[in-house]
Amino acid sequence: MQYAPTKGIKAHMKSRLFYKIFGTYLVIIVLSMAIVGFLVGKEVKNKLMEKIEYDLITYARMINLTSPKKEIEKKVVQLARISNARITLIDTAGKVLADSEKDISTMDNHLNRPEIQEAKVLDKGTATRFSHTLGVDMFYVALPVKSDSMAIGYIRLARPLVEIKNSVRKLYGLIFQSFIIILILSFMIAFIFFSRLTSPIQEMEQFTKRLREGEDPGTLMIDSSDEMGRLAMNINYMVMELQERVRSANEEKGKLEAAFASMTDGVLVLDSQDKIEASNEAFKDIFGVKYRDIIGKTPVEAFRNIELQNALDRFRETRVPVSQEVTLGDGEQIILDINVSSIHGLPNGEEKTMVVFHDFTRLKKLEKMRVDFVANITHEIKTPLTAILGFIETLQEGAIEEKETARKFLETIYRHAGRLNRLVEDLLTISDIELGEMKFFFESVSLSGLVENVLPVIESKAVEKGLVIDKNIPEELSPIRADRDRLAQILLNVLDNAVKFTPESGKVSITAFDDKKGYVIVSISDTGVGVPEDEIPRLGERFYRVDKARSRELGGTGLGLSIVKHLMIAHKGRIEIKSRLGRGTTVSLSFPVFEGEGNV
Amino acid sequence: MEEKKLTSTHYERELREVKKNLIYLGALAEKAIHDATTSLLERNSDLAHEVIAGDDQINKLDVEIEEKCIRLLALRQPAARDLRFIATAIKINGHLERIGDMAVNIAKRALILNKEPQLKPYIDLPRMADITRGMIRESLDALINEDCDLANKVRRDDEMVDNLNDQIFRELLTFMMEDHRTIHRAILITQISKNLERVSDHAESIADMVIYMVTGKSVRHQISDEKHEK
Repeated sequence: MQYAPTKGIKAHMKSRLFYKIFGTYLVIIVLSMAIVGFLVGKEVKNKLMEKIEYDLITYARMINLTSPKKEIEKKVVQLARISNARITLIDTAGKVLADSEKDISTMDNHLNRPEIQEAKVLDKGTATRFSHTLGVDMFYVALPVKSDSMAIGYIRLARPLVEIKNSVRKLYGLIFQSFIIILILSFMIAFIFFSRLTSPIQEMEQFTKRLREGEDPGTLMIDSSDEMGRLAMNINYMVMELQERVRSANEEKGKLEAAFASMTDGVLVLDSQDKIEASNEAFKDIFGVKYRDIIGKTPVEAFRNIELQNALDRFRETRVPVSQEVTLGDGEQIILDINVSSIHGLPNGEEKTMVVFHDFTRLKKLEKMRVDFVANITHEIKTPLTAILGFIETLQEGAIEEKETARKFLETIYRHAGRLNRLVEDLLTISDIELGEMKFFFESVSLSGLVENVLPVIESKAVEKGLVIDKNIPEELSPIRADRDRLAQILLNVLDNAVKFTPESGKVSITAFDDKKGYVIVSISDTGVGVPEDEIPRLGERFYRVDKARSRELGGTGLGLSIVKHLMIAHKGRIEIKSRLGRGTTVSLSFPVFEGEGNV
Repeated sequence: MEEKKLTSTHYERELREVKKNLIYLGALAEKAIHDATTSLLERNSDLAHEVIAGDDQINKLDVEIEEKCIRLLALRQPAARDLRFIATAIKINGHLERIGDMAVNIAKRALILNKEPQLKPYIDLPRMADITRGMIRESLDALINEDCDLANKVRRDDEMVDNLNDQIFRELLTFMMEDHRTIHRAILITQISKNLERVSDHAESIADMVIYMVTGKSVRHQISDEKHEK
C-alpha cells in the first residue's frame, strides 16, 4: 500500500517511533560533538599558547640588553610594534625599567610577579592572568637578561589572550555549524530509515485490519529478506492456514445446515434454557402459518400442547430419548411422531435438545381408511348374507312346503343376493379403475342425447315418489369428450342419489352449460335432505354415508359417489358438491369439450 | 455480568417455572373444555370420563402454582413487572382451575345426555362451544405473547357467548313447554350452556389480567359496565 508523501510526513511526525529513532541520533550527535569540541578546543588552545610563547621568546632574544638604556627603550617600543606584544623591562630588584605601553612611573614593583619569579629560577617564566594594568587576560613570558651569565634584569613580553579566545570561539562556531548540518542530515536519515522500517509495519497493520474486517486481504508483499520479510512470510502462512480452517469449518457447517434444512422431518432445536432456538424448513412446511413466532419461546408457550410437553418433561427427567405420538392443532389436526433427544458434543459442554417431528397425518388417515374399509366391507357383505342364510335355513326347516311363504322368502333372498351382486360389481368397478385396468373409449358425446337415454331408467322411481324431474339441456351444446357407457354410469349414479335422498313431492333438475373455458358443466340439483357442510369432503370416500341407516334402507352400497369420483378423474373432469342441510344438494360435473378426432 | 448472572439465575428459573406451569395448566383447561364439549356434541362418553378424571391434575397444578407464587413473593420480593406477573399468575391460576371445574360439570351432564336420545340437533351449542374454546385459546395466546389487542378481542367476544346463552335458553323453553318429557334433557342442556357462558367469563377475566400485567392498568368490569349502560 502506497502513502501520499505529505500524509506520510505528517504521519511520521506524529509517530512516537520516529522521535525515538531521531532522539537516539540526537543524543549520539550531541555527545560526540561535545567531546570533540572539548578535546579539539583544548588542543588548539594549547598549541596557540605554545606558539605565542615561542614567538615571544624569539622576540625577546632580539633585544640586546647590553645596549645603553636609551637605545633599549627605543628598541622595546620598536619590538613591541613588530611583535604586537607589550614588552616590559625589569631590573633584578623588580623595578620597571621600560614598558612599551605604560608610563613606568605609575607601575609598581614587578619582582613578585609569578612569571618573573619563575624566570629567576628556571631561566624562563610564563603566566596567564588578568592584568590590572591593562584590564584584560594576558599571557606573560619572562626571560632573565644576562650579562656574563649574570642576570641583570628581566624582559617580559605579554600578549592579550583575546586572540586565542577568538580562535577557540571561532572553532566552536565551526563545530556548532557542523552540528547543525549533521542534525539536519541525521533528521533526514532518521526519516528515511523510519520510512523503511515502518512502511512494512504499516502495510502489515492494514493487512491485518482487512483480515479482521473480513475482507479478502490478498497476500502480504514485503520485499525484504530481514526480520520484516520473514515476519511477513509467517503472517502470510498464518493467514492461509486460517483461511483454510475457516473454509473447512464453513464447509462443514454448510453441510450440516444443508442437511438440517433439507430434512423432510421438522426439526426444532431447544437451547439449554429450553427456549426454541431454531427450526428447519420442513418444520415450517408441516405447520404452515401455524406456530410462526416460536423462536425464543419455550415449547409450552409455542404449542401449549400437553402431549408434547409431557414428552419433553419425560425426556428432561430421564435423559433417555423419547418417542411419542402427538396430535397438534385444533380443527385441522396434525398427527406427528415426535422424537426428543439431546444434542451432544457442543462446545462449552452446552446441553441442547432436538425435537424431530415426523408428520404422518396422511399415513394415519390412510390407515384409518383401510381399517374402515375392511370393517365396512365386512359389514356390507355380512348383512345380506345373514339374511340370505337365515331365509334359506327357514326354508330348509320346512317353510319350503308352504308355497306362498316360500315364494316370499325366495324373493327376499333374491333381493339380498342382488344387493350383494351390486356390491361386488361396484367393488370390481372401483378396483378396475384403481388398478388402471378399466378401458375407456373416449369419443365425442352429445350430452342431450345421452340424458334422453338415461332419464327413463330413473323416471319410474321418481314418479313413484312423486318427484318432478326438470331437464334443461340446450340442444346446441358442444359435444363432450367422454366414454359413452361410463358417462351414463356417472349420470345414473348422481341422478339416483338425487332421487333417493329427495323426499316426496320434491324436485330434481338437470341442467348443463358451456363455461367457454373448454368445459361443459352438468349440474344435478335436488331439494333433498342435504349434507352437513363439514362432511362434503368425505362424500367420495368408500362406504362413507352421511346417514348410515337411511342409506342402506334405500339400497345403496355406499360406493356410488366413490365410483363417480374415480370416473370423473379418468375423464379429466371435476366434481363439485354444494349442499345445505335440509335444503338440497347440487352436484356439478365438469367435462372437457371434445376437441378433434382421435381417442386418448 | 457474570456475577449478576449467577445471582439472578435461580430467581429467573423459578419465575420461568411458574410461567411454564401456568401455561401448562392453561393447556390442560383448554383441552378439558375441548374434550367436554366434544363428548357432548359427538356423544362420546369415554371422553367425558377422561375429562372428569383429568380434573385431579388440574387441581394439583393449581395448588402447586399458587404455592410457588407465594414462595416467590415471600422470598424474592419481586418488583414492578415481575410483581405484576406473579399477582396476575395467582389470579389467572384461579380462573383456569374454575374452567377445569366447568369442564367437569359439562362432562357429567354430557354423560347423562349421552344415555338418552338426542333432544334436537345442536346448532347454537357447537357455535357457543367454538367461540368459548377460541376465547380460552386467545386469552392464553395473549398471555404468552403479552398481546393487548388479542386480549381486547377476547373481552369483546364474551358478548356473543352471552347472547347465544340467552338464545339457547329461549329455544329450549319452547321445547319444554310443548313436551314435558323433554324437560330433564333441556334443563341439562341449559346448564351446560350456562357453564360455557361462565367459562367465557373466566376467559374474559384472564384477558383483563393480561392487560393489567402488560400495561399496569386495571380494565376489569369496564365492558360489563358499558353493557349495563346500554
